[in-house]
Amino acid sequence: MTAPPDAVPAGTAGPGAGTAGPGVVAAGAAGPGAAAPGRAGPPPADPAERRARATQSFWTAVVGVPAVFSVLRLGVEAGGELQTTLLLVANVGTVNLLAGFLTTAAALLSTALVAVFALGAVLRVSVDRMPPGIRRPLFARWVDSTPAWFAVASFLLALVTWPLLYLPLLLPAFVAAFQLGPERLHEQRVPRLLLLAAGFAGYLWLLGPTLLDAARQGEALALALLVVPPVLALFVTGPLPAAVIRPLASVTEAAVLAMLVWAALPVISTPVLPLTVTTVETSPGVTEDVRGHVVTVDDVDVVLLQERGGVRYLPVGQVRAQVLCPSEDELPRRQLRVRDFHVEDSLLEGLGRRVRPVHRIDAACRTVR
Amino acid sequence: MPEISSRRLRSLATTLAVALTLTLAAAAGCDNRREPPLPSVLDKLHESHIDGQAKIKIGVSETEPLMGELRNGAHIGFDVEIARYIAAFLGFQGEQRIQWVALATEDRIPALQGGTVDLIVSSFSMTEERQKLISFAGPYFVTTQEVMVPTRLRDRVRTIEDLRRPGLRVCTSGGSTTEAELEKHQVRAYVVKTVGDCVRGIREKRYDVVSSDETILAGFLSQYPTEFEIVDMPFGTSELLGIGVPIGDPALRDLVAFALQKSYLEGRDGISSPWLTAYNRTLGPWLKADKSQPQPLNVPKLVDFDDKAPRR
Repeated sequence: MTAPPDAVPAGTAGPGAGTAGPGVVAAGAAGPGAAAPGRAGPPPADPAERRARATQSFWTAVVGVPAVFSVLRLGVEAGGELQTTLLLVANVGTVNLLAGFLTTAAALLSTALVAVFALGAVLRVSVDRMPPGIRRPLFARWVDSTPAWFAVASFLLALVTWPLLYLPLLLPAFVAAFQLGPERLHEQRVPRLLLLAAGFAGYLWLLGPTLLDAARQGEALALALLVVPPVLALFVTGPLPAAVIRPLASVTEAAVLAMLVWAALPVISTPVLPLTVTTVETSPGVTEDVRGHVVTVDDVDVVLLQERGGVRYLPVGQVRAQVLCPSEDELPRRQLRVRDFHVEDSLLEGLGRRVRPVHRIDAACRTVR
Repeated sequence: MPEISSRRLRSLATTLAVALTLTLAAAAGCDNRREPPLPSVLDKLHESHIDGQAKIKIGVSETEPLMGELRNGAHIGFDVEIARYIAAFLGFQGEQRIQWVALATEDRIPALQGGTVDLIVSSFSMTEERQKLISFAGPYFVTTQEVMVPTRLRDRVRTIEDLRRPGLRVCTSGGSTTEAELEKHQVRAYVVKTVGDCVRGIREKRYDVVSSDETILAGFLSQYPTEFEIVDMPFGTSELLGIGVPIGDPALRDLVAFALQKSYLEGRDGISSPWLTAYNRTLGPWLKADKSQPQPLNVPKLVDFDDKAPRR
């Protein structure tokens, strides 16, 4: 929670320096006969070249995965219709597509990265207990080859995009990822305990009203999610028993992958185009409301992708009104607030609502289907 | 030895902490995909009978100045403004989506029962008797029963006792709560169709006094400010005006109550609310004491899109 800033590079300097840096030394110390050859692979390449290759493939993944994802989403958005997909591809720019993807998938992306970094770091410190001759767990190797700034950036992204209710979980994840034990706070016991007590008191003061409210509403999970993680953060550092490491490594790898797939489905089906209700006057005095996502507007037509499928070309001259509508996914599940920030809002969303506090829903959004 | 056991303890704690964190994260992930436990405004709207209608039929009065009146072809008044707000909340915004149905006092319940109207906003007092036949959302206004006398009689009619005097012709509208209240106080009254008829009758010297809700009387006072005066009489009961909804459509009742609650909360927080705007434009200047919106009763908990908006 109150980790000194310089602790970040200190905790990750080894792996951050690349695969051929001190990470090798650590691995070598762990299993001199096994780990080093296991990681280096058959051609003993030049460390600089290997690092360059790793960086290249890393960035290819970072840029490529969202790009591929975005294009796949267009297919889903178009309702699986080839011609509609092509219409979307022709009209939705790359930048818009990536921006739209980031807006809707940033939380998922940061969750995956945070999970990998936290688990990888836990596995890495435990790795010296593993029997010799075993490959280092995948996540540990990933952590080895990721620059520290990227891990920090992932945590920052998670900090601003996760719903407030889940933010406390970021604390044990952060502590685990950078192995910041409580002893880092102060070398002496008494000041350390005082600092921790002060930190917890501040945390409880911040969340006090919310916790009372959650208790009143019987929201046990919300209570647990807000209170338990900071306590866990105290114990989450340090090596795991050898018996746990291998099952943990394989189970969590599978779990993170499953989570990605499971959570990616709704993200793929989240629309990238804004939802509107457009009123058109098809003949004098006769108006029709069309609910759909705006694909493009030009001098001749407003092109709408209807919510129930199909594309409508509405002549610009006939359009009388257009309103922006919220989607049903945006409905809150809880009635809890932290200092007037809704617990299901991320910090970014919460701040946004402070800038434009009242968002009225247009009547047309309710009735037109 | 103690060092080893403390190391073991430590790694056990770490294992537990890691496992618990993962469990919590998994719980959070599942929770994130959960459906909202409370029904949303949209769910209720789909349940109600007005879903999919091109227009909403709202019963109003056309003969009660300040409350519901037809002037130059346009419906105006406090009830009408409240009705417009409710209609807009339900998704029927603008005059082209509202069908106004003029209703006399005694036609209100049959109109709701027969499906002639979807809602009634027409100085409708919420009484137990009526709640057996229709549902009410509200109250949206609390009013008292008063008596309006022509200025020529203002010194002669000051108490309920005066109303009982033989020869004094008291008039009221049929099917109203006033009728029952007068009966309870043993005041014999001429019962006509609307309060407007009473007022016209007094001006034509057919009746002497009219008794009705403060709001309705204030409306006629606003039309003839020099001819009449409202006399404060201790009838004792306050009347809660509510919005009438068919008894078979609880979803619509819930929605209307929720809309009123929304306006109530806005007004309470010091923001201008739809209710306040309607009040200030119509009744406000004509009532003796300033009123504020009463808290609606039996408001359901519903989820709406703007629930995450800051409250302060």
